[in-house]
Amino acid sequence: MTKQEFLDRLKAGLSGLPEADIEEQLRFYSEIIDDRMEDGLSEEESVRQTGNPDEIASKIISETPISRLVKEKVKNRQPMGALAIILLVLGFPLWFPLLITFFSVAFGIFVTIFAILFSLWVTDFAMALSSPGLFVGAIVYFAHANVTQGFLSLGASFAMAGISVLMFFGCKALSRFTIRLLKGSALGIRKLILGREN
Amino acid sequence: MDIQLKRGLLDVCVLAAIKDEDSYGYKIIKDLGPYIQLSESTLYTILKRLESAGMLTVRSAEHDGRLRKYYHITDAGLMRIEDFKEDWKEIMTVYSFVTKEEGND
Repeated sequence: MTKQEFLDRLKAGLSGLPEADIEEQLRFYSEIIDDRMEDGLSEEESVRQTGNPDEIASKIISETPISRLVKEKVKNRQPMGALAIILLVLGFPLWFPLLITFFSVAFGIFVTIFAILFSLWVTDFAMALSSPGLFVGAIVYFAHANVTQGFLSLGASFAMAGISVLMFFGCKALSRFTIRLLKGSALGIRKLILGREN
Repeated sequence: MDIQLKRGLLDVCVLAAIKDEDSYGYKIIKDLGPYIQLSESTLYTILKRLESAGMLTVRSAEHDGRLRKYYHITDAGLMRIEDFKEDWKEIMTVYSFVTKEEGND
């Protein structure tokens, strides 16, 4: 990739951000590529070491505050006509409840995800705790010569220990996955504001 | 390394890289290379943060027919490095406590 191709792709990836921000970013990367070349690297190699312009653009967008993106979006909007304003006012009883519903549903989904994760962790914790309890129970049963109950309790104790260990790794993986998903959706929301696909 | 810890360290590293003389983007990355890994996009964010915190100033100067941005440390930036050194003494005290426990096992 040439330096110009790199800068063009970065610029395309940043479209929707404030113009001044884009210019500053492009100058920053352009300077670094120039300096790499001055250091004796080929243009191709200088660009390669600087990184993938699409990934860099995504990273820049994900670090830009949402308020800044919205402000830029609103600034670039055409001024509203009289008809649009009248419709907006008349439609208020319709769109306002819809807006509230949208945010409520989004909030509900967040709460549900965390509630599920939380309950899984609690279940795992409870099973881990029940294992030593059942073990003590087994000893008590054996001491009272109640062999059948004793073995049942002992078996349940081992089973709980095993399941809780397995579940611990399951919960951990699921929690990690959820956090990654939420981070991904944070980038997705920003791209949605910028009016971009994917 | 822990992300939060690295973020704090990187700020000080960038300040240290411009402490003795003004420096520019590529040189900062190259100077820090042997010590800590730093991507261009991360450096950009750090430079912006340090600039708005008043710890460094930026000037553009012509170099070889093109413009290059040079970063200059301010008194507040120098102070930040001194604070870091002080903090580090405390951290080392905690570190010696933590590792002492391990040694007894």
